[in-house]
Amino acid sequence: MQTPKIQRVIAIMWPSFLMAGAATILFFTAFDPQALLMDTRFADLSRLGAYTIGFFLFWALTAASCLLTCYFQRPCAFRGEPEKQA
Amino acid sequence: MTNKTSKSSKGQKPAGATEMAFYAKHEKIYPRKVTGIFAFWRASGVFVLLGLYYAVPWLSWDGRQAVLLDLPARKFYIFGLTLWPQDFFYVTALMIIAALSLFFFTAVAGRLWCGYACPQTVWTEAFLWIERQIEGDRLKQMKRDQAPWTLNKLLVKGSKHAVWIVFALYTGFTFVGYFTPIKGLWEKLLVWDMGGWEAFWIFFYSFATWGNAGFMREQVCIYMCPYARFQSAMFDKDTLIISYDEKRGEPRGSRKKNTDPKEKGLGDCIDCTMCVQVCPTGIDIRNGLQYQCIACAACVDVCDQVMDKMGYPKGLVRYTTEHALQGGKTHILRPRLFVYAGLLLTVMGILVYSMATRIPLELDVIRDRIALYQENDQGLIENVYLLKVMNLDTHERKYELSVSGIPDLQLDTGGKSIVVQPGEVIELPVRLAADPTDLKKRSTEVEFHLQAVGSDKLKVNETARFLGPVSR
Repeated sequence: MQTPKIQRVIAIMWPSFLMAGAATILFFTAFDPQALLMDTRFADLSRLGAYTIGFFLFWALTAASCLLTCYFQRPCAFRGEPEKQA
Repeated sequence: MTNKTSKSSKGQKPAGATEMAFYAKHEKIYPRKVTGIFAFWRASGVFVLLGLYYAVPWLSWDGRQAVLLDLPARKFYIFGLTLWPQDFFYVTALMIIAALSLFFFTAVAGRLWCGYACPQTVWTEAFLWIERQIEGDRLKQMKRDQAPWTLNKLLVKGSKHAVWIVFALYTGFTFVGYFTPIKGLWEKLLVWDMGGWEAFWIFFYSFATWGNAGFMREQVCIYMCPYARFQSAMFDKDTLIISYDEKRGEPRGSRKKNTDPKEKGLGDCIDCTMCVQVCPTGIDIRNGLQYQCIACAACVDVCDQVMDKMGYPKGLVRYTTEHALQGGKTHILRPRLFVYAGLLLTVMGILVYSMATRIPLELDVIRDRIALYQENDQGLIENVYLLKVMNLDTHERKYELSVSGIPDLQLDTGGKSIVVQPGEVIELPVRLAADPTDLKKRSTEVEFHLQAVGSDKLKVNETARFLGPVSR
């Protein structure tokens, strides 16, 4: 049975959002972005900016993972069965 | 939802039925306004919780913002308490306490959280109220949405969104005000001179508020909320649920007032569908307990009023338990509750104990990495360290430093006294010198003792290694 489209979009964007939030909190609790970026060309980036960019990078990563999960969840043909057109 | 889908797919080709479910279009739910005791409690919840949300960042404590999770400065102020990244443990403990409380209250009273306290419910209620003030109640809204676009419709819809957006923007502003000082933020907002990141998060949170409370509404509970999916695991037959009394209500059917339902072979449900019309998630409580039910009790309020009008006893739809519905007795005290309560009290105890014994002082010792050791002009072996002293207390402190681990170990701090402002970290290069004859090993453990002047409890010890040649 197929799930509604909204549910599939949410299944990708929402758990990844939550996990990106958790990852951001954990990561930036352990590492101060200003110390990390001190010797790079992003040295002028404010902490708030670093948190924000960090969060969206984490979100992109976790969303990609959710996307793959959703993709592999699609039913696949059994052996010997011709491929169905969706 | 499923009912509506199957209804709307009628008249389609049979094969199209599954496709209709596949592309199930969301149908807007227009919850009817409801009054009554539970509506009163829900409105109170909205006032108290939103009131707290909007007021708390403006409170002051000791000349600073009372509750400020100062992300740019990496410290959290919660009234008299200052927390640092090192205190992450406390935040974790608080989260665990919040989760266990949710489990506990769910086991006792079902989805109290969903119906009265969840931000999604609270903001949706506020948005619904604004919508009703501008668009009118359910029927007017439905009629307007079906009517073609006119200037009037544009004005009504436009003003609703204008109010929603202003409300959402202020919500977003307040949200950011928890993380960066709100008074400064407000002044910068007035002259439109916020930092780009602050502005971004104000808009991001506003957009989320507007979208979630204005459009997504019950879909958040149905598709997005993890709690809604697993809350039934905390349920048992003694958990408070909202239920329709099927034995009493069925067979349902309309009838004239003052007719005896027994004569017509009818139950108490007059099938007025008011319970469906008030439901914010668009379900029919008469179909039994459904995970879409957020236990807001709107159907209880409205059905009680209908029962009153009909002259029937209240409570056809009511707060009850599965045991009570089956004619049994509800057991309030049961093992499940003791387990949740026990876990909750344990974690709370650990948190309180560790907060009470927390030493607001931190000492880090970093060995100089360039020279392992050197010999000074008196023939002593010297090691150089960099000490980081962090005062996590609320006022200025003076500290005394001492060392132990090697006999006659000499400490040289450069003659400076160690004074640290609250919330500050100072770096202090120190030199230790020991007689080579006292060194038994290539690496000896030494211990730094940092003691606050005027407070016996405020002390920390930190070990380090002292390197030197082995004397024979």
